Amino acid sequence: MRLTTRDRIVLFAPLAVLLGGWLVLPAVLGLFATFTTYSPFTTTVRFSGFANYAAVVGDPQFGAAIRNIVVFTAVAVPLELAVGFGIAYLLRRPIKGRALWRVLLLAPWLVSPIAAGVMWHFLFGGATGILDFAFGWLGQPEVASPAGDLRLALLAAIAVEVWRVAPFVTFLLLPGLVSIPNERWEEATLAGASWIQQVLHVAIPELRTLLLTVGMLLVGLSFGAFDTILILTGGGPGTATLTPALYSYGRAFQTNDWPVGAASGWLIAGGVIAVGAVYLRLARERPSR
Amino acid sequence: MTRVILLLATLAAFLLPLAWTVLASIGVLPDNSATPPSWKGPPTLEHFAEIGIAEPAFWQELATSTASAVCAAALTVGFSFLGAYGLARSNFSARRMLTQGFLVLASLPVMAYIVPLSDLVRRVHLLDTFAGVVLAESAVTAPLAVFVLHGALTQLPPVWEEAAVLDGAGLARVLGRVVLPLVAPSVAATAIVLFVIDWNLLLVPLVLTSGQVKTVPVAMSDFFTFERELDWPTAAAALVVSLAPLALLVAVFHRLLERFRLGASDGRDIG
Repeated sequence: MRLTTRDRIVLFAPLAVLLGGWLVLPAVLGLFATFTTYSPFTTTVRFSGFANYAAVVGDPQFGAAIRNIVVFTAVAVPLELAVGFGIAYLLRRPIKGRALWRVLLLAPWLVSPIAAGVMWHFLFGGATGILDFAFGWLGQPEVASPAGDLRLALLAAIAVEVWRVAPFVTFLLLPGLVSIPNERWEEATLAGASWIQQVLHVAIPELRTLLLTVGMLLVGLSFGAFDTILILTGGGPGTATLTPALYSYGRAFQTNDWPVGAASGWLIAGGVIAVGAVYLRLARERPSR
Repeated sequence: MTRVILLLATLAAFLLPLAWTVLASIGVLPDNSATPPSWKGPPTLEHFAEIGIAEPAFWQELATSTASAVCAAALTVGFSFLGAYGLARSNFSARRMLTQGFLVLASLPVMAYIVPLSDLVRRVHLLDTFAGVVLAESAVTAPLAVFVLHGALTQLPPVWEEAAVLDGAGLARVLGRVVLPLVAPSVAATAIVLFVIDWNLLLVPLVLTSGQVKTVPVAMSDFFTFERELDWPTAAAALVVSLAPLALLVAVFHRLLERFRLGASDGRDIG
């Protein structure tokens, strides 16, 4: 229908107030605050330029957090996409009770990130764990929890994240895969395409936009990694699993270094906005076939 | 056939950690010190009773989680539905860009703006209140809801609305009598997914409350960060109890959840 100005106000005002007041305003005020000495606990506020950012960037802990999150994202996001896509691909052709398969396979995503941390803390642990049980059957001696191992902790955190998020990827990709017209698969089959070729030349081009969208969400999710790691390792051992979000939380709410916490939070936002700009560019291009 | 075997293997791998947890919650625990490892303990329900001893307010926290997630999901869906409809029926050049912008906003981690948000919430005296948590959770999830509902609404041919307008219907009538009934399944599916996301949020209630209003994820974080660690069977029982409502909800509405689509795609059923 043709919308009048009054209609538009009715439609957009509630959302604008909600997002403006609770997301955009704090984010923008926070951005301004990071260039000053502002903190809720001080009375005098001075302009300080990039001092807060310099403090964050110069902190070796933050450097470690950036290194960790780059590895975390580079490993977890492709794995989540690949595993999630693989399962969706298996469910592509009609199967009895497909809708039920879809929600059964969604189960790990229903576990909250923090609950996943609690759960895997015990599942990785010695006396109660799944790993020790399996190794015991294989005749191996006791294994220590990988979450406490300097070299394995980050991998353990990635494994838990992939376990939890890949099912959500399947849930998001399946409707798209199912919507691909049958003729496209038939053409490919007639041309003698193997399943790998079908994935590369039919599924991925057809799902280009959806894959980009899911990829964007996954990168954002990964850049903000916090809850699971808070419980699983607390960022340790040492700084082996420290993430920018854990760093930011610790500075703002535990050591009461508010300006540094806010500035590092904005650096996370900056990372997501940079990836978002690439996403907006890619999503605008029409797929060519 | 290979396909079913592969699917069953995947399902088993994904669900094994959950099964391990459910077994622990009823007292069936692995005995890893034996060779080969075996199982011990007769099944019991007493660990579920122990939750209330370890965390006396647990059932209260479960109620708070449910109420805040219901309110936040309802508020988000309502506001986002209006906004998404406005967006879907507007015609300006940056519309596509704006819609995708909502997705980027949906990807923005809460940590990016929670520090100044907590300060703002304190200044408007909503710190540690139910309303403060609900409003913040709504804002966090609204961008995703707008993106999803916009996708569903652009699939809707405008002819029905035009017919209603010719009959003299205004915006409220068109939305209530024509649009909403047609996209109700998508709206309901979105509400369910938002409920799950809201229920599981940690950072928002953790930072915006200090004890008066406590959700289950915050209670869980307390246990481990304050070093009064739960024993495994009790923790497992608490995990099972906090997962059960979501599992039940998703299982009951599994057909409806087919309508949850990210972005616009044609609406073939997957069943």
